[in-house]
Amino acid sequence: MKVRVLYRGQTKELEFEKDRVSAGEILRALHLSKEYAFVVKDDEVLDDKDHIKDGEEVRVINAISGG
Amino acid sequence: MRRCLKCSAKSVVYLPQHRLALCKEHYLEWYLKRVEDTIKEFRMFDRTNRVLVAVSGGKDSLSLWDALLSLGYKMDGLYINLGIGHYSELSRKVCEEFAKSKKAVLHTVELEKDMASIPSLKEMEKRPVCSLCGQIKRYYLNRYARELGYEVIATGHNLDDETATLFSNTLSWQLEYLKRQYPVLSEGNGFVRKVKPLFKMSEKENALYAFLRGINFVEEECPFAEGASSVEYKRLLSQIEEKSPGTKLRFYTEFIRRVHPILKQEGGVPIGACSVCGEPTTSDVCSVCRLKARLSLGSSSSSPSS
Repeated sequence: MKVRVLYRGQTKELEFEKDRVSAGEILRALHLSKEYAFVVKDDEVLDDKDHIKDGEEVRVINAISGG
Repeated sequence: MRRCLKCSAKSVVYLPQHRLALCKEHYLEWYLKRVEDTIKEFRMFDRTNRVLVAVSGGKDSLSLWDALLSLGYKMDGLYINLGIGHYSELSRKVCEEFAKSKKAVLHTVELEKDMASIPSLKEMEKRPVCSLCGQIKRYYLNRYARELGYEVIATGHNLDDETATLFSNTLSWQLEYLKRQYPVLSEGNGFVRKVKPLFKMSEKENALYAFLRGINFVEEECPFAEGASSVEYKRLLSQIEEKSPGTKLRFYTEFIRRVHPILKQEGGVPIGACSVCGEPTTSDVCSVCRLKARLSLGSSSSSPSS
């Protein structure tokens, strides 16, 4: 399955070998932790265990900033 | 599914360090109360003070501005255009749009006009660019706050910024830096009072507040921050936090409660006025005027526009 991810102003396409993935799995695929990042779908903040289906689009917000 | 502790609706936020699940409405309420309580606990300012908030277009500073306006404080913004290409242009646009939507005053300083852009300054300095940029921002913030008659400067430093800095300064036992690490730095010797009302809020809590309030903020990272040690420290501390929620808050609040009072007793380095620009410094000429001299621009300066 494929998920389109809007992340820091860019759109990425993530591919998984299953029918649905959790928000936590999306974060891990981007090497992020729920400690400082979260997934948004249809303007709703998803829980770590909420699922995303094939073809859906999500936004990932990574709160860590440097400098 | 977790339910809001206050109203039992489906929660949108879970805060492990507080063992707290909240719906949107009660998260925003909790956030504002926590900011207000912090301001009062540390006597940062009150509703009679003129406060200048330093805004970058990121989630922290815009959440701070939004929260303080919602709480009824008198707040204007200052944006320093660092001249970092597309990143700075986007940041400026986001700050201007936010100020317009709130009918708030935004002052802007053009670094390139006053001395040089950060990319140009980076070429002539050996030290890490984030350290140089931080120093320049502190200089302009203080100078314009003074010139424009503000009594307090508020910055969006969050718990993750503070713990990463504390961790870094502790690793190398930078006592002079540790002495200055406190949520309120008093006015005097040419300094305007500086406060950090979000020091108890994590980066994620600020990002959640900004998102839930519908604030448009810059998500892109500064191109120069890539590989910055502060990001590495934040990631390391988040690993500890994940295993032991509340560690970051305890690390910082116990430092200011138990260690800072001891360090403060020692007193600081004497501060004088820069012989060129009059800003506070520990030497005859401040570091920004020394940089300007190297740029052969002398001490010519411009006023912020608003």
